[in-house]
Amino acid sequence: MKRLLQPVPLVCLAWLALLAALALGAGAIAPHDPHLPAIKHRLASPGALYWLGTDDLGRDTLSRLIFGARTALLASFESVGIGLAAGVSLGLAAGYLGGWWDRVAMRLADVMQSIPALLLALALIGVLGKGLANAMVAVGVIFAVSFLRITRAVVLAEREQLYVDAARVLGLRPFAILLRQILPNIAAPLIVQASIALGTALLIEAMLSFLGVGAESNEVSWGAMLDTARQFQSQQPLLPVFPGLAITFSVLAFNLLGDVLRDAMMPAGTAHPRAATLAPAAPADTPPPPAAEDALLAVRDLTVAAPGGAELLSGVSFHLRRGETLGLVGESGCGKSITAAAIMGLLPAGVGVASGSIRLGGAELVGLPESELRRVRGKRAGMVFQEPVAALSPVHTVGRQLVDAVRAHEGKTGRLSGRAARERAAELLAMVGVPDPRRRLDDYPHQFSGGMAQRVVIAGALACEPELLIADEPTTALDVTIQAQVLDLLMDLRERLSMSVLLITHDLGVVADACDRLAVMYAGQIVETGTVEAAFARPRHPYTAALLAAMPRGEGSGTALATIPGRVPPAWDWPAGCRFHPRCAHALPGCAAAPVALADGVRCRRSGELHLQGTA
Amino acid sequence: MSAPLLSVENLSVDFHLKRGWLARSLTLSAVRGVSFAIEPGRTFGLVGESGSGKSTIGRAILRLAEPSAGRILFDGADIAAGGRRTPLAYRRDVQVVFQDPLSSLNPRQSVGTTIAQAIRRHRRSSGAALEKEIAGVLDSVGLATWQAKRHPHELSGGQRQRVAIARALAVRPRLIVCDEPVSALDVSTQSQVINLLVDLQRERGLSYLFIAHNLDVVRHISHSIGVLYLGRLVEVGPAARVYGAPAHPYTRMLLASTLVADPRVQAERSRARRTLPRSEPPSPLAPPPGCAFHTRCAWADETCRGGAPAFCARGGDRLVACHRLEEIERCAH
Repeated sequence: MKRLLQPVPLVCLAWLALLAALALGAGAIAPHDPHLPAIKHRLASPGALYWLGTDDLGRDTLSRLIFGARTALLASFESVGIGLAAGVSLGLAAGYLGGWWDRVAMRLADVMQSIPALLLALALIGVLGKGLANAMVAVGVIFAVSFLRITRAVVLAEREQLYVDAARVLGLRPFAILLRQILPNIAAPLIVQASIALGTALLIEAMLSFLGVGAESNEVSWGAMLDTARQFQSQQPLLPVFPGLAITFSVLAFNLLGDVLRDAMMPAGTAHPRAATLAPAAPADTPPPPAAEDALLAVRDLTVAAPGGAELLSGVSFHLRRGETLGLVGESGCGKSITAAAIMGLLPAGVGVASGSIRLGGAELVGLPESELRRVRGKRAGMVFQEPVAALSPVHTVGRQLVDAVRAHEGKTGRLSGRAARERAAELLAMVGVPDPRRRLDDYPHQFSGGMAQRVVIAGALACEPELLIADEPTTALDVTIQAQVLDLLMDLRERLSMSVLLITHDLGVVADACDRLAVMYAGQIVETGTVEAAFARPRHPYTAALLAAMPRGEGSGTALATIPGRVPPAWDWPAGCRFHPRCAHALPGCAAAPVALADGVRCRRSGELHLQGTA
Repeated sequence: MSAPLLSVENLSVDFHLKRGWLARSLTLSAVRGVSFAIEPGRTFGLVGESGSGKSTIGRAILRLAEPSAGRILFDGADIAAGGRRTPLAYRRDVQVVFQDPLSSLNPRQSVGTTIAQAIRRHRRSSGAALEKEIAGVLDSVGLATWQAKRHPHELSGGQRQRVAIARALAVRPRLIVCDEPVSALDVSTQSQVINLLVDLQRERGLSYLFIAHNLDVVRHISHSIGVLYLGRLVEVGPAARVYGAPAHPYTRMLLASTLVADPRVQAERSRARRTLPRSEPPSPLAPPPGCAFHTRCAWADETCRGGAPAFCARGGDRLVACHRLEEIERCAH
């Protein structure tokens, strides 16, 4: 609704409201009879008696404009009404029933659409007799075709939604499903289209009347006024101005309103971040042991803030040694992916590093200009995402995409010829275990299975011979057997290319399989770090222990699984004190009192006294 | 053993894929000759990877997909007896919970409306009585009454899945088809939803068809497990046996690939799985002849390429479809 209160839509709405008021109350508002000729005042200029002048018969232009609004709106609503009623109902039927219904409706639509609207209108007038109402029926039929197409297309998409299946399983009748389930969800594009169609209809009405086949002589139409103006323009140059402006403004208002409605009806975001109440700063963490000499990546006190001040990350510190795999673990919404984005310089618009440092191989990344950053990052870090198919461009061959990746980093080895780049791309594919790599370079991403596509994405990330590979949920979208193969590949590559891997995952099984150390994140903070062996055998933070306990471990349903009550709070609502305390089984009143520092690899006041259960 | 509530007999489902305007349509055999039964108050787990046809079986039971052969009996009666029409009683008895709760809930309907329409389709209720029923259903899935006014996008993933379960419960079903109900959820929420399903089964004697790709989850909730590979069942049996002592090479492979959150156990599993031949699953459009698994099986020989193996019993009520079961077992000992 907010968008409708901006100036442009308000002006449009005001104009249309004025038109509607004039159309409804034309008889009472118009100062003169629009049909009454007054020959002695013919072609008068605007004045006190006739505010906007008169036409060739001395009829008042203002009154004719006011009555013209009635004709224009009636004609527009008639045609769009017919179009909506016929088009939407047929489109719903065609889209939902499918099969023959669909085929017949669509062929009919094809035929209708190949007939020019104006021709159809003229033909209908020939059959039904002259008159604006008949002409607008023809326009309505043409509109019906476009409404049919839109409705059918959105119904086809909406029909695949699971909620429609669920409604069928509930036994709801098809008619009820169409009307109560599907229609409300497809209303937005139809309303937008209807608004634009109203403008078009108004224009067509004016055009038909201008040609003399629309409004009868006893009706007043802006188009007919223009026709008169055409004949007497030389004697009264102001004649075409007013009806012209009326038509232009009305069509413009309908169209602009359509655009605004389209924006306003976009599905609302799930939440509107409120201004964050700034949490009291945590006491300085005991300085983490100075990152080891061989640390490739060292993140220190990294704080990332969203617009409005909400801290997405608060003082995140960790390091990654050369040749090591670090697992970054936590539920969704804890800041894992934001951490990766901060390292890669891929933070969403408006989100920025507020403080802290990210050092990659000794070079500070925070504060570097974009071009510098791209150079450092591109050469030393590669990234693999969760959805392999989304990470590849569907319209280019895999070979082309890999060659692009290779050439983007060719600085190290000097310029590569096209042939050499292709050779290198094939090499990369072979390295990630894609069989028959040379031939597969010419395939498109959709020709690869999920697992193979992920191998291609990994090959692309390897193009720059990175020292650091960031893998964000690289196996979550894959099947179990394929997940294992891709993890094996990553580990194998890590060894062969002596890379460091930052593996982001919510699956503790993946961590157990592939990682040396882990960092557990909760609510934008690191709450525990340590070796995987130690953290799994004897977790020190209640959150780590709770995550471990929640995994089903192949016992029968006799034992209930451990759960963590509640959910991760949103970033503008981090709890005071220990951020985990509202969900923690071990929380004491004191836990809410003050922020807890990360000490000795764990962020918990009670870590010394708790004996938490691990998996081993 | 009590009479099964649902039995699936030799179910096959084909899809005809159109490729272009003139080209012949391709036939995708999503499910081929699958049989199993679910007893009242029990859970049958169906495991398999993408393309194995597990969701299609669920959809056939829900009458959202048309079987091309075989039949489905509910309470002893063929569910297709009434032709294309599905009796309302069946719609009441069999309900569904889908994987993605955001897409399975109508975004424009509040939680209360969603549940009210389920209730009112199947029994008369209105006004205060309806309100009370809605509150009761919400309470049984651990949601508060005031959440009836919420829309799906205002809820978290776990809460949405609770609403989907509430919608299914509202009509008082006897069987719920759970199609990957927890795979879109975080670990902590996943365990909440699993516990809820188990509790509801205990309280109401519900039966579940539990479809998932995660063998640990399926093991936790199921009494029996069926393992699907490219549309065929390769192993069926009591959950403890299938999980504890897998017989079919594919089940073994699945188990070996399942990750456990215990570094030492996982290290052993990783070693074991690295010895397995690695290969891609074939396209369901062109399943290999004979035993469909032979392209990925370490034990495959000529017999496996020749013909599809029949089920043979392996101790009690376990069935395994493998030509070389005896050799494999001999080697394992």
